[in-house]
Amino acid sequence: MSVLLDVQELQTRFRVRKGHVYAVNGVSFQLEEGETLAVVGESGCGKSVTMLSLVRLLPPAASIENGQVLLRGEDLLQIDQRQLRDVRGGQIGMIFQDPMTSLNPFINIGTQMAEPLIYHRGMSKKDALDRSAELLEMVGIPDGKARLREYPHQFSGGMRQRVMIAMSMSCEPAVLIADEPTTALDVTIQAQIVELVKELRDRSGVAVIWITHDLSVVAGIADRVIVMYAGYIVEEAPVDALFEDPRHPYTVGLMGALPSLGGETGTRLTTIGGSPPDLVDLPDFCPFHPRCPYAIDRCRTENPMLEPVAEASDRGHNAACWVDIRDVKVQTETDTAIAGG
Amino acid sequence: MTTQEITATSDIEIAEASRTNLWRDAVARLAANRLAVVAILPIVLLFFIAAFGPYLTPYDFLAQDFTARLASPSSEHWLGTDELGRDVFSRILYGARTAVSVGLVSTAISLIVGLVMGSLAGYLGGRVDMLVVWLTDVTRSMPALLLAIVINLTLKVPLEAWMEQMYLATKNTFFRQTMWVDLVLVFGALALIQWPGYARLIRGQILSIRSRNYVLAARALGMPTGRILTRYVIPNAMGPLIVAVSAGMGGAMVLESAFSFLGVGVQLPIPSWGKMISDGLRMWQTHPYLLVGPAVMMAVITVSFAWLGDGLNDALNPRQWGG
Repeated sequence: MSVLLDVQELQTRFRVRKGHVYAVNGVSFQLEEGETLAVVGESGCGKSVTMLSLVRLLPPAASIENGQVLLRGEDLLQIDQRQLRDVRGGQIGMIFQDPMTSLNPFINIGTQMAEPLIYHRGMSKKDALDRSAELLEMVGIPDGKARLREYPHQFSGGMRQRVMIAMSMSCEPAVLIADEPTTALDVTIQAQIVELVKELRDRSGVAVIWITHDLSVVAGIADRVIVMYAGYIVEEAPVDALFEDPRHPYTVGLMGALPSLGGETGTRLTTIGGSPPDLVDLPDFCPFHPRCPYAIDRCRTENPMLEPVAEASDRGHNAACWVDIRDVKVQTETDTAIAGG
Repeated sequence: MTTQEITATSDIEIAEASRTNLWRDAVARLAANRLAVVAILPIVLLFFIAAFGPYLTPYDFLAQDFTARLASPSSEHWLGTDELGRDVFSRILYGARTAVSVGLVSTAISLIVGLVMGSLAGYLGGRVDMLVVWLTDVTRSMPALLLAIVINLTLKVPLEAWMEQMYLATKNTFFRQTMWVDLVLVFGALALIQWPGYARLIRGQILSIRSRNYVLAARALGMPTGRILTRYVIPNAMGPLIVAVSAGMGGAMVLESAFSFLGVGVQLPIPSWGKMISDGLRMWQTHPYLLVGPAVMMAVITVSFAWLGDGLNDALNPRQWGG
């Protein structure tokens, strides 16, 4: 497999009244052709900002300070607006968290779906509408042709997310970035959407970046996982290695917070106390140490780099932690059992 | 029993309404608003008179009947005649034309300017935004009537001189009709006074809509800025704008009357309600009908536009729809 997307030392910060908030701090990762990469972490960890930075869709207060985003060797941070528009929707498709508000309420579904096809593929309106009808049926909305004339408010949340997926996939992008696409949906619909994306991925070979804070979804869909905290990648591993052998205390904490079907009943779910910091300065300490049960003195004075873990069971397992957590026994219960697929 | 039936029917109606699009919903809601429906009648009538008035009037607006100066209302002159013996009813009908053209043209100009300026300010932000907001502040800091008077006093003479020169150069009689100068000045002044309101409204709307998810989604699909503005942002900003335009039309007509009343509006001999009220005021004790006719007309039209605007607001604002 070859590298499709190569992100190097990406740094994004927000301008606020008193200086800056550092949202993404030197994030580097690679995405291979056809691979599914999950990005996990709690709210405010820089997951979404990282992905919006890739296609420069950031709000005006944010700026990309450093880094490269190479899509098949071309740096997306250097190309002009016109080329960038061809990349957006053409080569990188995106779906967002809230399908209820992601469709324009004033335009019917058909016209809305036809737009990217007309714009990126130069199709005629009629061809684009025919194709849109096919796409609707492909994402599991029957009677696509008739539904093209309907408006967003006539669709349920799950169906709107299907429409969003159909739109983002319509121009056959190389990468699909899904920014918590199931968060706003109820559980049965979530599972359907995950299955739909898996099916489309297997059929088209699109590489997927799936942002989520739901580890159970990750286990079912991802090949590889990146765990983000305070704008840093704190752990990176193939999905099995991550679940079997997590090496960063934050990952361990996330898994402890996950309910398990197989575990004993009556045990309490563990939580990670506190919340992620807003970095107003680049830290010279591990940003997780105030919440970390394993923290040692070094964590307070030096920020660990992402490095390959000792005795890794699999290739490409990196973590940013000064402590080898296998050697330490802590009081808090860290049940690493996972919920099934 | 009856109440139950009524509730049942209205539930079905609501269910059916929800199957249509937002605009059709709004029309249905507007039709259910009695005040708005009542207000539509005079407005339609006004536009009809403005379009066909000259064919309906019993007399020409300039025709003077010196044998019947300041005549009281009679079967011959329904609303009497003024001091030059001109039929007041005919002049009111002609005045509708002035009112409507002023309302339409000045609203259209200020709307276009406001739409462009407000859209750019709201969508582009930064320096463009600061410049536009500064311009609206500067314009709004000057009292409307004072501004109109200043425009009239400073631009009228040079503009007439230019018209005269153009006439001498081209021999086109169009340039001899100085009433155009008045109209251009009145339209211009009204547009200048009104555009900041529209620009600010649009800017606010766009600031709010710009951060909506469907705009982000459209950008993520690679849609160009112009297309996002015209297809995603502006249509969604239309609701409050339609309300503002409806109220603004009435406002423009009142303002024009105020200009005419103060003598900086449309000049004689074009009939204008404001001018007629102004003239009538001098003799209201002896000949009240000179004042009453145009004043009642003005009041009815203004109130109608306000009611229609209110009805449109209720129909187009989802927060007003209620449970």
